[in-house]
Amino acid sequence: MNLTRLALRNIAGSAFRSWVVAICAFLVAGFAIAILLILRGTENSLHLAIDRLGADIIVVPEGTATKVETALLMGNPTQVWMPRSNLEKVSAIQGVVAASPQLYLSTLNNASCCTVASMFLVAYDPETDFTIEPWLNRTIGRGLNLGEAVGGTHVFVPEGEQNIKIYGYFVTLKANIEPTGTGLDQSMFITFDTARDIARLSTKLAEKPLIIPENSISAVLVRLEPGADPMTVSADIIRQVPGVTPITSPNMFQAYRQQMNGLLASVLMVLGITLILSGLLIGLVFSMAANERRRELGVLRAMGATRNFVLRSLLLEASLLALEGGLAGISFAVLVIFLFRDLIMRSFGFPFLLPNPGLLLVEILVGLALALASVIIAAMVPAYRISHLEPALAMRE
Amino acid sequence: MKIIGAVLIVLSLVVAIVPMFTDCQSQGRAIVLENGKTIPMKCHWSGVAELVVAIPLFVLGVMDIINRNLLVFRYLSILGIVLGIFIILIPTNLIGVCISPEMLCSSVMRPILILAGIFVVVANLAGVWISFKSQNKPV
Repeated sequence: MNLTRLALRNIAGSAFRSWVVAICAFLVAGFAIAILLILRGTENSLHLAIDRLGADIIVVPEGTATKVETALLMGNPTQVWMPRSNLEKVSAIQGVVAASPQLYLSTLNNASCCTVASMFLVAYDPETDFTIEPWLNRTIGRGLNLGEAVGGTHVFVPEGEQNIKIYGYFVTLKANIEPTGTGLDQSMFITFDTARDIARLSTKLAEKPLIIPENSISAVLVRLEPGADPMTVSADIIRQVPGVTPITSPNMFQAYRQQMNGLLASVLMVLGITLILSGLLIGLVFSMAANERRRELGVLRAMGATRNFVLRSLLLEASLLALEGGLAGISFAVLVIFLFRDLIMRSFGFPFLLPNPGLLLVEILVGLALALASVIIAAMVPAYRISHLEPALAMRE
Repeated sequence: MKIIGAVLIVLSLVVAIVPMFTDCQSQGRAIVLENGKTIPMKCHWSGVAELVVAIPLFVLGVMDIINRNLLVFRYLSILGIVLGIFIILIPTNLIGVCISPEMLCSSVMRPILILAGIFVVVANLAGVWISFKSQNKPV
């Protein structure tokens, strides 16, 4: 009888022990992959959102940084205003190569004049914009005309309609941006002209008018010269433009990162406890099994099996159970996270995007390796002990 | 066979009951027509179709429990696989749910139904495997 066959027979022969070990591996691998997926998915989403924003610094009115970050990250609409003159002041700062204003608006909630309730609307200036226009030129070959919009991946025209109604104004959705897992997926981008046109007509068409204060903007997106230090430019902005807060891209979404670090500490603790408990349980089960099977393994040794053969057969048995339980745990965790990703994102209040297949495979292998390692380490001591017993002693006891 | 039957009964109840509490109709949302009348959104019809699939699945679960013939068990399991596939296809391809991920039908109802459908398929695949494995053994 070869090694694998012996291990498989032993697995089939002791259903209780096999189930306990497989369930432990299921829990360890499932927890590990779930934690990895959620944390990497959130980090991935944050990076993608920063890349998509395409600005080195975002200048917002003083004290509104968290509000704006929440709007960009979770799609919760916000309206913040600062004087338009800040744009010229920011543009004049050394190291700034481009500065473009944006207006942050919102559709109405529970109003028949808006087909989409409480949607975050971002209006940009096509003449100075360096974030949306280049993407539009690549995607549809031109910029947006009056009455046209681009939306995040979750923005869609309601069934049976041709356009999206905002403040009674019909906007044509021209394209959808690739998913980021953030609030940008639920946001809509329009030009300044469209925003002003909506505001002008909303007094007649909407239940409540859209108000854009004169000579006001919500934010300035800044691109720096190559080699310019964002922190130095940021300090210059604070000194030279009163009443604003610059958010540099490396520091963007800091509040969320801190929240994530707190979460990371808690989940690592849970994973650690699971690992320790599983290890103890597997060790206990294998010790019990080793005692039960003393005679059987003694006979095996008496028939000529080496210590190494017995040790390897026991470890192979543990590995097969770990693989079986680990694969089941990983499949279950990946499936649940994939299916419930929207619910997870909204419940925890942070962005989330599934990793690409290559990265997912690496994470799956990490989860599987953890399950294998925990089971083999736990089974090692009892397996070593029993494989080193003298055959005569093992059979007699 | 009894365990698989019990699992299928629980899953059929999940498939029948979950849409009743998670479709847009249950959340007070409906499509408002020009004349002011309201009609249910498509997630509601997905829920109704799931109920139609859940009833035979429930009966199948009961039959799995009372049946003692392996061949019948195998055919019931094959039928169960087909029902499981329909449970998955109704909210995804055949009828669908609302598009917005913010709606409960999209973020809760659809994933639960897909997961339940996968479990139904897996349980019945296990049933087919058991029926072949136990072919020569007394039931």
